[in-house]
Amino acid sequence: MKRTTLAAIALAVTAGLGLTGCAGAAGPAEPQSQDGKTRLTVSVWNYEGTPEFKALFDAYEAANPKVDIEPVDILADDYPQKVTTMLAGGDTTDVLTMKNVIDYARYANNGQLQEINSVVDKVGKDNLAGIDAFDIDGKYFAAPYRQDFWLLYYNKDLFKAAGIDDPKDLTWEKYTEIAKKLSSEAGGKKVYGTYHHIWRSTVQAIAAAQNDADQNSGDYSFMEDQYNTTLDLQKSGATLDFGTAKSQKTSYRTMFESGQAAMMPMGTWYIAGVLQAKKDGKTNVNWGLAPLPQKDSNGKVTTFGSPTAFAVNKNASHSDEAKKFIEWAAGEEGAKAISKIGVVPALQNESVTAEYFKLDGLPADELSKKAFTPDETALEMPVSDKSAATDKVLNQEHDLIMVGERSVSDGIAEMGKRVNSEVLGK
Amino acid sequence: MTTETITQAPVPVHSRGNRKQARRNTLIGWTFILPNFLGFLAFTLIPVLAAFALSFMEWASFTAPKWVGLANFQRMLASDTFWVALRNTMAYALGHVPLTMALALLLAMLLNRKLKGIGFFRVAIFFPYITSLVAVAVVWNMLFSPDSGPINQFLHSIGIAEAPGWTSSSDWAMPAVIITSVWRDMGYYMVLYLAGLQAIPSELYEAAEVDGASAWQRFWNVTIPSLRPTTFFVVVMLTVSSFKVFDLIVVMTNGGPGRSTTVLSQLIYQEGIGEGKFGYSSAISLVLFLIVLTVTVVQFKIQQRRER
Repeated sequence: MKRTTLAAIALAVTAGLGLTGCAGAAGPAEPQSQDGKTRLTVSVWNYEGTPEFKALFDAYEAANPKVDIEPVDILADDYPQKVTTMLAGGDTTDVLTMKNVIDYARYANNGQLQEINSVVDKVGKDNLAGIDAFDIDGKYFAAPYRQDFWLLYYNKDLFKAAGIDDPKDLTWEKYTEIAKKLSSEAGGKKVYGTYHHIWRSTVQAIAAAQNDADQNSGDYSFMEDQYNTTLDLQKSGATLDFGTAKSQKTSYRTMFESGQAAMMPMGTWYIAGVLQAKKDGKTNVNWGLAPLPQKDSNGKVTTFGSPTAFAVNKNASHSDEAKKFIEWAAGEEGAKAISKIGVVPALQNESVTAEYFKLDGLPADELSKKAFTPDETALEMPVSDKSAATDKVLNQEHDLIMVGERSVSDGIAEMGKRVNSEVLGK
Repeated sequence: MTTETITQAPVPVHSRGNRKQARRNTLIGWTFILPNFLGFLAFTLIPVLAAFALSFMEWASFTAPKWVGLANFQRMLASDTFWVALRNTMAYALGHVPLTMALALLLAMLLNRKLKGIGFFRVAIFFPYITSLVAVAVVWNMLFSPDSGPINQFLHSIGIAEAPGWTSSSDWAMPAVIITSVWRDMGYYMVLYLAGLQAIPSELYEAAEVDGASAWQRFWNVTIPSLRPTTFFVVVMLTVSSFKVFDLIVVMTNGGPGRSTTVLSQLIYQEGIGEGKFGYSSAISLVLFLIVLTVTVVQFKIQQRRER
């Protein structure tokens, strides 16, 4: 008797497992709301912590009451892998957010995205910053809605205290000089003249952009000056030592918001971060923005950055609806919606910039405005199927140069040697 | 071998339905293990076999897999990074296994007494093992911080001016990882050794004492031989786990600085999940599997010879 009951339970459990397995494999049914609205699904990362998505979706739903946008939320760190897996499994999410151009190139070349030249033409290529990154033999498979680029954040109070003018038209030489002057130690509190985060981009992408060089080329002699500048700052104690920053997982936000760094080269995504931190009362930093320091003082500003874009899934359930949404998001309406929360839109025209600087809490001085209009914005990393593998090698060698185990020239030679043999197969 | 006959449990004598009953019992048994076995099949056995097949193919997740024979293995043997990772994995195992064993045994000997509050110490040493590994890695990273970390502060205070850069130095990153992992694992293996120690009959020690053996001789001639089965188990477990080390290294150093702490499991992850070269990464995992298998088989053989 007892045995039969147990066996029955065991059977029931297994059968249950089998059933759930089947249900899982079948996948969710076609999203349809009961009120006759179209349910548009959009893949996003960290929905709670990335306010731009909510800003866009809310504004779009307000303008299009017949559409109900449903975010497909994915962990930020797993985003590329997860989207890759979804696409491989024939997922029908309508709009896919392209977190970076390297992933974009992979999906587009695999034929997993729909061509949307008509959308790009309607928005207008000329005004869309970073649009060239999405051009694959004249075809566009995504349209950028935001474009981040690098500039210099600085702490006005620390500048004033040291009697130094605002950082206008800086060359790297001048920048190094004032960073050393701004460094101080008083009452056990160390203030660094600047903070360079541990990412390789803080040296390598800057060097590539300002020397018009290719990071996939296998020849890295163009990085030499930028490494020497950075190592000089580190040796003189004008910036936090790389080894310490890496092992302590130092947060660049803390460095700037707590006034431990007087300057910091960083991407525009951090603007929204500072605004939020000030709103939450976590910091009262008196901040300003300046253009990134340059190689020479000819008044031309070259920086680097990376666009974020929306694409239509090849298997989308609502292709036309998805295109309509992208046209709106990449266009003026979408640009204004994200400007309101401090995110830099890809669409750049006078009225969008004006909207952006209406933002409460944004530094409104002339220099900060000038920082917003760089003459040239190179891609952080070129679009190529070699980029991911090159990135890995350059990262490893960057570490060794920064911790002082390899001289700059040896490190650069090693990068070239490894990229040529491991990536380019020469 | 013992020559005792093992008495079987009495079979219930029902003249009718005996065989039916037996078959039903078997069926019930299978039903009970089925849920677990299905999981094992779907998430372990089939993927392992698939990886074996994939290592002879080129497969970039979207395209159909293409048979390429031994190309992946040729590429692997020609790859500098593969050899670096293999060397690092060996170095980690050679540091981690003996150190953890020695410390676990030492701690077990120390804590194998009937004292008031001994339970507290046993728990305290076991604690790192049940702490989240990521938390352990992050905290040790802080301790190892080259400038402001307590470890280097201490070294400075005892007069060592040039303290190591630990995780920011190619020479010291691997020792730093090993120190952390030994600290984390020793509690678990200490518990295994404690169980082993408590199973040794006290008569053996008494007899040795009567014969005038010193403490060292008692340890060497009674404790060590009696612990052989435990040691065998510990060595196998430790070796397998050191070859599979992944999470600790990813959080502490992520394989850096440079490639100084890149290990095989990390390379498998980077090449497969990171760059979508599933065939190539399966080939590396096959090598890792063969290494672990060989080491384990050799250890089993040694153990068997000892028992004879």
